[in-house]
Amino acid sequence: MKNIIRGHTSLMVSGIAVGVLALASSLLVAPSQAATAKGSPIKVGVLTDMTGAFAIVGKSNQAVAQFTIDEINKSGGVLGHKLVMDLADGGSDPAIATQAASRLVNQDHVAMVVGGVASFTRVAVRGVIAGRGNTTYIWPASYEGNECTKNVWNTGSAPNQQVDPTVKYLLSQGKKSFFLAGSDYLYPRNILARVRQDVLAGGGSIVGEEYVPLDMTDASNLTSKVLASKADALFEVVVLPGTAPFIKGVVDGGFKGTIAGTLFDEGINPLIGSQAQGLIGVQDYYAPITDPFSRAEVAKFNKEQPKAAGLFASTFNAPAWYRSFYLWKAAVEKAGSFDTAKVNKAMDSVSLTKSIGGPVGFAPGTKHLKLSMYLGQSNGDGSETVLKSLGQIEPYQCANASN
Amino acid sequence: MSATVIREIFDVFSLTSILVLLVLGMAVIVGMMKVFNMCQGELVLLGAGTAYLSYQYFGSVLLGIFLAPIVVGLFGLALERTVIHRFYKNPQGALLATFAIGLVIRETVRTRMSTQSSLVPAPIGSNVHIGGAVLPIWRIVIMIVTLIVASAIGFILLKTSVGLKIRATLDNPELVASSGISTKWMYAWTYALGAALAGFAGAMIVPLQTLYPNLGYENLIPMFIAVMVGGLGQFAGPIAGAALIAIPGGILSQFISPVSSQILILCFAIVFMRFRPMGIFHRGR
Repeated sequence: MKNIIRGHTSLMVSGIAVGVLALASSLLVAPSQAATAKGSPIKVGVLTDMTGAFAIVGKSNQAVAQFTIDEINKSGGVLGHKLVMDLADGGSDPAIATQAASRLVNQDHVAMVVGGVASFTRVAVRGVIAGRGNTTYIWPASYEGNECTKNVWNTGSAPNQQVDPTVKYLLSQGKKSFFLAGSDYLYPRNILARVRQDVLAGGGSIVGEEYVPLDMTDASNLTSKVLASKADALFEVVVLPGTAPFIKGVVDGGFKGTIAGTLFDEGINPLIGSQAQGLIGVQDYYAPITDPFSRAEVAKFNKEQPKAAGLFASTFNAPAWYRSFYLWKAAVEKAGSFDTAKVNKAMDSVSLTKSIGGPVGFAPGTKHLKLSMYLGQSNGDGSETVLKSLGQIEPYQCANASN
Repeated sequence: MSATVIREIFDVFSLTSILVLLVLGMAVIVGMMKVFNMCQGELVLLGAGTAYLSYQYFGSVLLGIFLAPIVVGLFGLALERTVIHRFYKNPQGALLATFAIGLVIRETVRTRMSTQSSLVPAPIGSNVHIGGAVLPIWRIVIMIVTLIVASAIGFILLKTSVGLKIRATLDNPELVASSGISTKWMYAWTYALGAALAGFAGAMIVPLQTLYPNLGYENLIPMFIAVMVGGLGQFAGPIAGAALIAIPGGILSQFISPVSSQILILCFAIVFMRFRPMGIFHRGR
């Protein structure tokens, strides 16, 4: 009820505002060509949720952005220009995010925008930034896949990159029957569709698949169904705040199988508590990975950004935020220009030999990254144990996208 | 009986007892006082928050469960004397005012929390094994406590002189005032009672979930439906209403998806109210 009322009026207002601003900016200069006089600072847009439900993620994102921009500036900037962070609060709300994105692109003329926490934000702002704004938009989050819009680049993991190795591991451990459980919206449905496909292809069976409404506060019925199924493995994408009570109910109820999911790491485990013991997942970074570059960088991050120390976690998209700036820098330098069309052409094949989490690079024609991934097991104290380094995994996304 | 059947029956009783517990405060404030209290969910949230803070600072959730009705009851008393009492003759105004209060409480909690959700352990975290099914003891405690509290409040309201004064005040304030009873404070304390019950419910159920800002708000709609199905004007109606939507809801979701069962229950409530617009205990219009 609240959402309808608020969304309705502010959408209308933001719609008018966006229209007026778009008209005004088209009469002025093309945004990405503004302010490229020799040596002048370049504004980069950082759009994240500093307030609202995702404020904790926003705090991490802002710190990682500041850390990375500082690091790039210390090593000489991009094409001789220093970067300046232009922070915009998306307020964990698509209407607020749209206004924030509009300010970044149409008033501040940023060279590019990194950001968004939830997919509803990406869907709300991509038209403003990448479409009408003709500005590079980097979406730095693990998500449900299928974002192939022009000028948009995905630097988080696609479903197959997390799901395929997880299911493969479970099957190799002799887990044959799977129960799939998730919250009822696009992300869990797409993730679990991939799980279903992998399990069936690998000779396993699906003994149950169930989705709970996002506002369901007590999932004890779902817990009973999981227990009754006697599955060897539970793949769960029940999102916060439902995760902890659901997993607790399943574990305490005497579930004998293994629990796996896409949302377990040092960022989320403390919210699950001691029941996190033994949860299986695949991420692009865990604190104990052995890569010396990653360890040194994260140690430096914790020192330079004390307020966000300990918030460098994969589920907060921290590694994706870090590499987003470096990938864009590589594309700008390859293009020799800040021009949106040239940068986007270059972006299609840039890669980084060193990044937090390991080497990454765009798989040409996919708009997604070939990512270094790790198989992890959660411990009861919130930490993770890396079971295996999986190397770089291809994204199966956006076949033959030309930009 | 197999373990699965035991669990399923247990789930139905557990979900019903939780909704009844949540509705108790609303039965007083909405059912009896007829104040459309949109911040009822946030009173539940404040109770849950009290349990969490007590756990953080004193290491005891149990203490928080005892403190929650006192803290939230006093908060309700202050709220009635500052805001709510101005809106008894203006129900639409009350709807907006209480919605605004709820929003302020909810967003204040959100900005004060450093994480998306916080765990609160149950005072009795262990399980009991019955016929192969593992059942959480805390859910059993909630069933028993709900039964006791509902009976006690019902007894006070229907069988004691305090209850008589409360019912008389809500029924005919002019007559009560002319009999020498301060209706002003009767209203205030009745609202405080409803708030205390909400706070208590919040503290009791938070160990089954986690503390998060929308904890109460997400229960507001089921609570309101229970009150509407049960009928306004008396205490027992909303409680019967809670049972009437929770029991079929619990049974249905064993067989169909929780999303479909939610939709079916809403349809059932609409059809029911078409034929019993005044609630369970009133025939006709």
